[in-house]
Amino acid sequence: MFAGAVLAGAMLASSAFAQDKGTIYYMVPTLLDEFQTESVNAIESFLAQVGYETVTLNADNKTDLQQSQMNDTILLDPAAIVIAPVDFNALAPAIEQAREAGIPVMVFDRQVTSTKVDFTSVAGTVEIGHVAAAEIQRLLEEKNGSVSGKVLQVLGDPGDPYTLDIQKGFEERMADHPEVEIISLPAMQWEASNAGSIVADQLLANPDIDLIFVHAAHLAVAAVASLEAAGKQPGDVLLVSSNGAPVGLDLIRQGWEQVEVEQPLYAQAAAIAMFADKVVNGEEIKPGTYNVLGLESEITIEEWGPNLKIPGAAITAENVDEPRFWGNLTPPSDPIKPVE
Amino acid sequence: MTPARRATIEFLLDNLVWLMLIVVLIVFSLTVPRFFQFGIFANIIEQSTFVGVMAIGLAIVIISGNLDLSVESTAALAAMVTGLLFATQGIGLGIALEPAWLILPVSLAIAMLVGAAVGMANGFFVVRLGMSAFIVTLASFIWVRGLVVAISGGRSAQSLPAAIRVVGTADILGLPLLAWISVGCFVLFSFIMAKTPFGRYVTLVGGNLEATYRAGINSNRILFVSFVLAGLLAGVAGWLLAIRTSGATANLGVGMLFNAFAAVVIGGVSLKGGIGKLPGVYAGVLLLYSIHTAINLMGLPAHYTQMILGALVLAAVLLDTLKLRLREKLL
Repeated sequence: MFAGAVLAGAMLASSAFAQDKGTIYYMVPTLLDEFQTESVNAIESFLAQVGYETVTLNADNKTDLQQSQMNDTILLDPAAIVIAPVDFNALAPAIEQAREAGIPVMVFDRQVTSTKVDFTSVAGTVEIGHVAAAEIQRLLEEKNGSVSGKVLQVLGDPGDPYTLDIQKGFEERMADHPEVEIISLPAMQWEASNAGSIVADQLLANPDIDLIFVHAAHLAVAAVASLEAAGKQPGDVLLVSSNGAPVGLDLIRQGWEQVEVEQPLYAQAAAIAMFADKVVNGEEIKPGTYNVLGLESEITIEEWGPNLKIPGAAITAENVDEPRFWGNLTPPSDPIKPVE
Repeated sequence: MTPARRATIEFLLDNLVWLMLIVVLIVFSLTVPRFFQFGIFANIIEQSTFVGVMAIGLAIVIISGNLDLSVESTAALAAMVTGLLFATQGIGLGIALEPAWLILPVSLAIAMLVGAAVGMANGFFVVRLGMSAFIVTLASFIWVRGLVVAISGGRSAQSLPAAIRVVGTADILGLPLLAWISVGCFVLFSFIMAKTPFGRYVTLVGGNLEATYRAGINSNRILFVSFVLAGLLAGVAGWLLAIRTSGATANLGVGMLFNAFAAVVIGGVSLKGGIGKLPGVYAGVLLLYSIHTAINLMGLPAHYTQMILGALVLAAVLLDTLKLRLREKLL
C-alpha cells in the first residue's frame, strides 16, 4: 500500500511536468495477482513521468474479454497499447488489427512471438525456469552432495502459458540431471489452497521430497502452511518460488524459503516508459545494451520486433533486503528518462 | 416384494453415495501407489473441510427450493477480512488482542457476520423483493469477489498469528482439527435438518411452497433464514480457509463453487428442492476430494487433471440418476 502511495505521489508530481503526449492503454491480464497489481502502479507512474496518461483495462484472466477490450480500444485511437496478454498467441489477431489501424503495440512481461509487435519488455518466462533450475541444482548439491533427489514442482493453472513456459525452462535445464526425480502437479486456477493440498498429499506419498518449487510466491505461502501442519521446520524441505512477490521475500526472511526467482517488475515497466516515445513516433529502436534502472539489459531485433530482455535475479537470504527487488515495494526514486 | 427386502433396497439406495465412496476408496487404495495410509484419509477429510462447510449452506438453500451462487465469493470475502485484520505480513493490519486467544472467537464472529450480511442481502432481494435467486446470487458472486479485489487492492495478507494458526496445525487423535470441525458442522446441521422444526420446514418449503403456506408455515422466514445460514456457513468456510493458508489472496477459493455444487448433487440433493440429506452431501464432498487426492498422487500430466475430474464427477452423477430410476422401478 505504501509503495502504491509512493508511486501515486510520484505520478501526481510528475504529471505536473508531463507533456500531454496522449493516452496509452495498458491491458493487464488480471488483478488477482500481486505482480500484476503492482505492474499497474508502475506502468501508470512511469508513463506519466514521460508524458503519457495511462488507462488500465483488466481482462480478469479471460482471453475473450481481452480481445474485446483490444477491439474497443482500437476505436478510441490511443497513442499506443501496452499488453500483457492472457494468452500469448490468442491475442495475435487483435494485435495485428491494432497495428493495421496505426496503433503501435508494446508487449509487457508475457512474450508474443507469433506476430510482429513494436516493442517487447520481458524477463522471459522460460528464462525464469532456467534461473530456478540453476538455483535448485545448487541447493540439491549443497544438501545431498550431488545434484540428485526428489523435487515437487507445483505449477499454476495448466491453462496458463506463463506457468507452462516456466516449467519448460526448468525441465529443459534439469534434463541433464536424470538423478533428480521431478513430480509436477498443477494448482488449478492459481488457487493457494489447491497448492496446499498438493503439498500435503505429496508429503505423505513421497516423504523423501527434498525441495518444492512453486511457480508463484502466493502458492509458496500455502505450501509452507502445509509443511507447518506436517510438523516440518524451516529448512527441512527446501522451497523455491518465482515472481518475487512480497510474500515470497517474507518467507525467505522467516527461513522457510531459500530462493525466490524475481521478475524485475520495475525495470520491465520502466523500459516501456523509456521506449514509449520511440514506439509512438515510429522511430527505429536500435539493438544493443541499455541500462534499465541499473540492470544491464539487451535489445535484440527478433522476427516479432525489438525485444528487450531484462535479467531476472535469484533472491536469497543474503540479498533479500535490497531495494531493487520489487517485492520490497520500494519504487525507484530517479525519474524515468526517455531513450534519445 | 417382502417388507424386509424392500427396506434393504431402500437403505442401499438412500446410502448409495456412501457405497460409491467406499468403492472408490477401495479402488484407489488398490490401484494408486501410496494412497492406502491413514495420513491420506486424514488429508481427504481435512481438505474437504472448506467445500464441505460451504456445501452445507448451499444444500440447505437448494433443499428449500432456491439457489446460492455466491457462497464461494462470500467465503473469499470472509477470508480476506480475516487476513486483512489479523495477518502480520502483506496488507494485513496485524491487529493483536489481549489475551491472544481472543483472536479465535473475535475473528470467527467477524467472518460469520460478513457471511451473514451477504446472505441477508441475498435473502432480502430474493424473498422480500421476489427476485430470481439465480440472478441475485450470480450478481453477489460477482460483486462480492469484486469487493475482495477492491479491499485488498489485489494484494495478499499473510502470516496469521500462532493463536489462530493452531486451528490449522493441531490434531486430535491423529486427525487434523480442521477435519473434526467439518465433521462437527455436518453432525450439527444434519441434526438441525432432521430433528428440528426448522429443518423439516426447509424440506417442506422446498417440496411444496404453496402447501406450506396454506399450512400456516411462515415460508418467507424459512427461505430468508436459509440464505442467511448459507452466507454464515460460507463465512466460516472462508475463516477456515484463511487459517489453512495462513492468510488470504484475492483469488482464494476460486473454483470451489463448482466443487460445492458437484458435492451437493452427488450427495443426492435435488436441484428442484425438497429432497436431500446432509450426510449424503458429506459423502459427496469426501468422494470429490478422494478423487482430487488420487489425482494428486497419480502425478498425472497437468493438462488432463480437469478432464479426469470432470469425467469422474459425471460418472458419479450418472450413478445417482441410475439410482433414482432403480428406485422407481423396484419400489
